[in-house]
Amino acid sequence: MKRFVSLLLSLVMIMAVGFCFGACSSDSDETESAGEGGASSDFTVGAIYINSQNDTAGYTYAHHKGITTAMQDLGLDVDSQLKIVDNIPEDYDQVMSAIDQLAGQGCDIIFGISFGYLDAFNDAAAEYPDIVFSHATGYLSNDSNFNNYFGRIYQARYLAGIAAGYKSVEIGNNNIGYVSAWGTEYAETCSGINAFALGVQSVNPDAVVHVKQISTWGDEALERQAAEVLVDTYGCGVIAQHCDSAQPQIVAAEKGVFGCGYNSDMAEQAPDAHLTAPVWNWNVYYQYAIETAMNNDAADFVSIVGNYYGGLAEGMVDISPLTANVPEAAAKAIETARTMMANDQWDVFSGVKLQFFEDGEVLDVEAALVTNDGTEIIAAGGQPIDDSVIQGSMNYYVAGVVAES
Amino acid sequence: MKGFHLVRRTNVKLWQRILFYVIGILVSLVIGAILLSTLDIDPIKYYRQMMTIGLIENKYPEKAIEGLLKIFVPLLIVSLALSLSYRMKFWNVGGEGEFIVGAIIAAVIAFKCSSLPGPLVILLMSLAAFIASGLIGLAVAFLKVKFNTNETLVTLMINYIALYVITYIADTKKSWNFFLDKESARPKFAKFPDPAKMPGIKIGNVNLLYSVIIALALGVIIYFYLKSTKQGYEISVVGDSTDTARYAGMNVGRIVMRTVFLSAALVGMAGAFSASTAATISTSITNNVGWTGVIVAWLSKLSTPGIAVVSLLISVLQYGCQAASVSYGSVDHNFADLLQGVILFSVLVADFALNFRIVRRKEADNV
Repeated sequence: MKRFVSLLLSLVMIMAVGFCFGACSSDSDETESAGEGGASSDFTVGAIYINSQNDTAGYTYAHHKGITTAMQDLGLDVDSQLKIVDNIPEDYDQVMSAIDQLAGQGCDIIFGISFGYLDAFNDAAAEYPDIVFSHATGYLSNDSNFNNYFGRIYQARYLAGIAAGYKSVEIGNNNIGYVSAWGTEYAETCSGINAFALGVQSVNPDAVVHVKQISTWGDEALERQAAEVLVDTYGCGVIAQHCDSAQPQIVAAEKGVFGCGYNSDMAEQAPDAHLTAPVWNWNVYYQYAIETAMNNDAADFVSIVGNYYGGLAEGMVDISPLTANVPEAAAKAIETARTMMANDQWDVFSGVKLQFFEDGEVLDVEAALVTNDGTEIIAAGGQPIDDSVIQGSMNYYVAGVVAES
Repeated sequence: MKGFHLVRRTNVKLWQRILFYVIGILVSLVIGAILLSTLDIDPIKYYRQMMTIGLIENKYPEKAIEGLLKIFVPLLIVSLALSLSYRMKFWNVGGEGEFIVGAIIAAVIAFKCSSLPGPLVILLMSLAAFIASGLIGLAVAFLKVKFNTNETLVTLMINYIALYVITYIADTKKSWNFFLDKESARPKFAKFPDPAKMPGIKIGNVNLLYSVIIALALGVIIYFYLKSTKQGYEISVVGDSTDTARYAGMNVGRIVMRTVFLSAALVGMAGAFSASTAATISTSITNNVGWTGVIVAWLSKLSTPGIAVVSLLISVLQYGCQAASVSYGSVDHNFADLLQGVILFSVLVADFALNFRIVRRKEADNV
């Protein structure tokens, strides 16, 4: 009983100290917030991250940079107008709790960057109709205040594939490696692999893309091992990747081969090996979304923005500047392909294939899109496949891709 | 170099205990304040947010209360459950695994028996989780009693088995896998049908879940179970000395197996409650409660009312740290965790300093 009394007393004392702090500082608090009122508006942005907001690379970093860049461009003050809950795993209660905290802090729009936040966002959108909910990589939405967003990163991967294709011709090695988080179980990964492979084949039709899957979105040791196997066992001369760290590029540099990074310009980590990396410009969407939410009612958000799926045309995705390791002709070819995609003249997954020559000239030929087990997805000359397939249900590799165990 | 050694203090007075804990907490708050100042944050404002779990200037204060309770309920039940084993010096560190098993079994019932009426489904979920996790506890206790295995190792390993089982279920999109959402192209746990969702009563704006009431009632029941029943008495005798218990004619093996069954079973039930509250499961459903529960049981010296107080305090600390970090852009979750760790560590050091004093070997020899 004594223990209980002592614990109770310490609880009371802690609370007393807490409330005393509260009482003591409340005066100064008001004057301070009045001083901060100089920012352009009291619009507040909320964000829920899967990793730390202080990361210096990777997925969360890319989103955080996107949000802060967008806010600065819109004249919002990141320190006072951005509220973040980070390191939130894909657990319903924990996500809901984070949303409640952001709502309690007065957020007007809340972004969630991880797929597993889906259900909590869906339910919260109904519970807080005055707040805009925007969820990356998901597939749920409503017709008022809840949308999803993602980008056509496959377009950028196709461009990186062209660079890799020219390099493979130059070094005379048809084996290209690809370190991937997941394989055909995620449309996000297999659409990237397929687009990259088609890009490679547009230059080097004989190339084979060897995929080594690590079954996690990021693990530096596994990424390194996979890259080493691709070079040592399969003799790959270019290593592409869909995983968080720059390890595959660092391995490529160590082994004297070449590589295409992901998410950020990995020439920084592997200057001698790096060709170009598909990169995200998340700020393109974030700026559009925040600006729309600032100037409209939450209920009208979806009718204006809809579900967002930006690509090269919007500047949502791109490739990092080509390094000196990229053969000269690639620049011209990449520019041609980029223009065609940005102007909606052509898309990666369709019944028309581009064919680039050594001098960078292009020829478009009607050819079926076929999987690596021979199934025809689109007949020669057919229309591009639906966005929802690329985002959601694609579950095959195209011809020329080999999944290595 | 002269040796030092530890001497246990006897007759620690109540005021000393309070003094030590308060000093410990104040020291940790000062350390935190220094760290916060280096980030250009006013520590007093920050602590105010933290200790009031962000209730001040909150647009939805009721949500903060609900959020706090969602952390409190599993922590309370798990700590109570673990303390049952610890009273017999049976070191069950399998809280994480038993919790996950409870959640998985509850999910099975939720998906398969959704045609039953609401309260019955939840009752079944809790019961099934209770039995399933209890059996795991029983198995470990059996190994200990029969073959004198090390229960710390065995329960620890069970955590990993359970974690990898739920991860396998979470990642495997196959037609047999009824846990996953059929609508989603990517593997993702489905939401439970409505009857499996934990109901509550509205008190003001706060939706008070029945799990909160059950958890508190459970605390009272366990208090009287340990204090006033024969079984409770047996537990304390076994905890003091198995030889005494044996000499008194008690079947020690049976008592150990029965109690560990109960301990693990209650952890499993907490898992079922969490699953039912969220109406889904996830690979991070435990929120580390199996570990935090060990700290709570330790800090409260296994006293049942103490567990109630300490688990509330730690829930306030956990929720409050996150709530405060939300208001400050430069404070991330890791920093909030760090602060939490510093506070817990200081309390443990205070606790240590309270129970032991360090004396020089020579001085001790003279005594």
